[in-house]
Amino acid sequence: MHGDLGEILPLWSTIPFVGMLLSIAFFPLFAPRFWHNHFGKVTAFWALAVLTPFLIVYKGLALYEFLHIVLADYVPFLILLSALYTVSGNILLRGTLVGTPVVNTGIMIIGTILASWMGTTGAAMLLIRPFLRANSHRKNRTFMVVFFIFLVANVGGSLTPLGDPPLFLGFLRGVPFFWTFQLLPQMIVVAVALLVLYFIMDTYYYRKEDIPAPSESPEKEALRIDGLHNLIFLAGIVGAVLMSGIMHWGEMSILGVHRSTADVVRDGILIFMALLSWMTTRKEIREDNEFTWFPIQEVAILFIGIFLTMMPCLKILQAGEKGELAFLIRTVNEPFHYFWITGILSSFLDNAPTYLTFLSSLLGKFYPGVEAKEAVALLIQEHSIYLKAISAGAVFFGANTYIGNAPNFMVRSIAEETGTPMPSFFGYMIKYSIPILVPVFALITLVFYW
Amino acid sequence: MAIKKILFPTKFRELSFNSLAQLFALKDAGLKEIILSHVISREDVGFVPFGGYLKEEEDRLREEATIRFEDWQKSLEEKGLKSKVVIKVGEPVPQILHTAEDEEADLIVVGRKKRTLNHPFAGSRTIEIVTRSKVPVLVSKYLVSYEVEGENLEKINERIFERPMLVCDWSEPSMRALKLMKSFQSVIEEAIVFHDINVEKIHEKYEDSLHELKKVSIEKLDMVCDELKEEGAGCETHLGAGKILNEIIRISRDRRATMIVMGTSGKGRLSEFIHGSVSHSIVRESELPTLLVP
Repeated sequence: MHGDLGEILPLWSTIPFVGMLLSIAFFPLFAPRFWHNHFGKVTAFWALAVLTPFLIVYKGLALYEFLHIVLADYVPFLILLSALYTVSGNILLRGTLVGTPVVNTGIMIIGTILASWMGTTGAAMLLIRPFLRANSHRKNRTFMVVFFIFLVANVGGSLTPLGDPPLFLGFLRGVPFFWTFQLLPQMIVVAVALLVLYFIMDTYYYRKEDIPAPSESPEKEALRIDGLHNLIFLAGIVGAVLMSGIMHWGEMSILGVHRSTADVVRDGILIFMALLSWMTTRKEIREDNEFTWFPIQEVAILFIGIFLTMMPCLKILQAGEKGELAFLIRTVNEPFHYFWITGILSSFLDNAPTYLTFLSSLLGKFYPGVEAKEAVALLIQEHSIYLKAISAGAVFFGANTYIGNAPNFMVRSIAEETGTPMPSFFGYMIKYSIPILVPVFALITLVFYW
Repeated sequence: MAIKKILFPTKFRELSFNSLAQLFALKDAGLKEIILSHVISREDVGFVPFGGYLKEEEDRLREEATIRFEDWQKSLEEKGLKSKVVIKVGEPVPQILHTAEDEEADLIVVGRKKRTLNHPFAGSRTIEIVTRSKVPVLVSKYLVSYEVEGENLEKINERIFERPMLVCDWSEPSMRALKLMKSFQSVIEEAIVFHDINVEKIHEKYEDSLHELKKVSIEKLDMVCDELKEEGAGCETHLGAGKILNEIIRISRDRRATMIVMGTSGKGRLSEFIHGSVSHSIVRESELPTLLVP
């Protein structure tokens, strides 16, 4: 009933979305202080720029669409992210780790595996401080943090909807929980290539730096994990998300928006798990983890802007060749087109909205006018390679820049705070992501999408 | 138990230095050094959304704090007191508590130096420090506006160590508070020692016990006073009867106390929520500086 909206919306209705994404891309780069202090106002500006005219022109219909995107996408997205962030923030790895190439590679492997189960943000936040502490005696640490961003903050999150926000948005649209495991071969190729390269580089620098043997280091403290009981709550989160994909308890109406009862129950369980984690974990653990709500508050503010401004763009794409973005849908045809276009845009725009945009474009291309969940089921049955392409593109390419995925900037901030020099925005790309990641993604294209 | 080293965290709010200057009096009681500390909130410099860390901003804030502290350090030097500057980035409460531990401070001085009407005399961070600190905490209240029987009053708390009022409940923390007070006896003009018997809570059938309790309490108060008089300071005793919070505030005003000194039980948040904490209530509601001893 609302599908028609995408057919009549003009292309300029996507300007607030483009403005929002460009603000995220350029303000941190060129006016970081202004952005740090006023990003909320910038977000409000773009949100109002789309809300006001839409509500005036389309009234009830626009209100419904905005409410729908907030209640069905934004709220569950934020609840999942907050729950994973809270639970992982209550787990603390203590003890002396000495940053040798083997130990560092081990941390990277653990982080890459954990990322799909506690989210890239959760895994990155859990391991970045111990990783930096372990390497505080090393001279060349920058490349280590960069590889940490590649693997733990991005590539590792490709296997489940918990791993990376775009995959969760796909899950909310009907992609089965375990379907993303089909990305395992691609993930292994990327992870192994990066880990081997990392190990070679770390070994080279380790030898060059002439680091004293670990036994010479004073005051070794045994490794231990505090707040380990939080794994129960992590399992609760995994179980709740799984449950919502399996159970069908009908629908309920919230402010006129129909939502699956199982989804609402899932969100309730996620909040409950986060609360339990918070209440059962000593405050000192969070303090020693330097836990702060600030990054989640930032994500909450920015993403309400992203989700609201995204609505016209999604509607146009869902309209397929009847919409104003028909040229894009006609141009992008092959799976590798989708892999690269989703990937390149995910590098510079946040990967979650980019994924949703191209998922919508696929649905518009193959199943215009078909209800989203039904269309997703058909897409998986008939053209699953396209879904793999946009899923892998959104997750993997998020590592290409600092702005590709939320944990990238959190890791960068923590590294810089603790004295590890990090490259500039373009330095990161020129020195690391273009020479390292792009060839790996080319290999993925040849092996899986050609 | 003596106050040789004080940790003075500050956000450089109005009247902070005036509050610091109040501590100079303790030099005559053995104060040697003041650690001047400033915590740059991580939120001010870190986690730029989709950016990174504002290193230049951190450097600027550090430099600002250093310049301000240098000015204060000159005053401390003139008074013959040593000083050290500690500037950190992070969450204020844990950073302050860690600094106190690292520097082995004997006293932490916290609290907003200026309080206007309609605000409690201590914020949530101050209460958290009071609750979690392992060393005594002085909640400084330099300029206060408060209301007494409908009348708005303003007061500058100066010479805070001259007439301290010790609230005794004979618990271990309150005895430690006595010990601490004795350590700065030399700067006290006259001490006030107070104990409260909550008559409302004692049932009529225990009337005999009430008389006995009163007698014992007065004896104990006199003993405490005698201890404080040993060094030559004056001392007066007062027995309160009624709700302890009201009685402490009433007597402190009537007797022109300059500070309230009391022990804290170190109750956790849950216990405080259920049972309440007299010391925390005093921190929030009395217009006088409050020295709490864990």
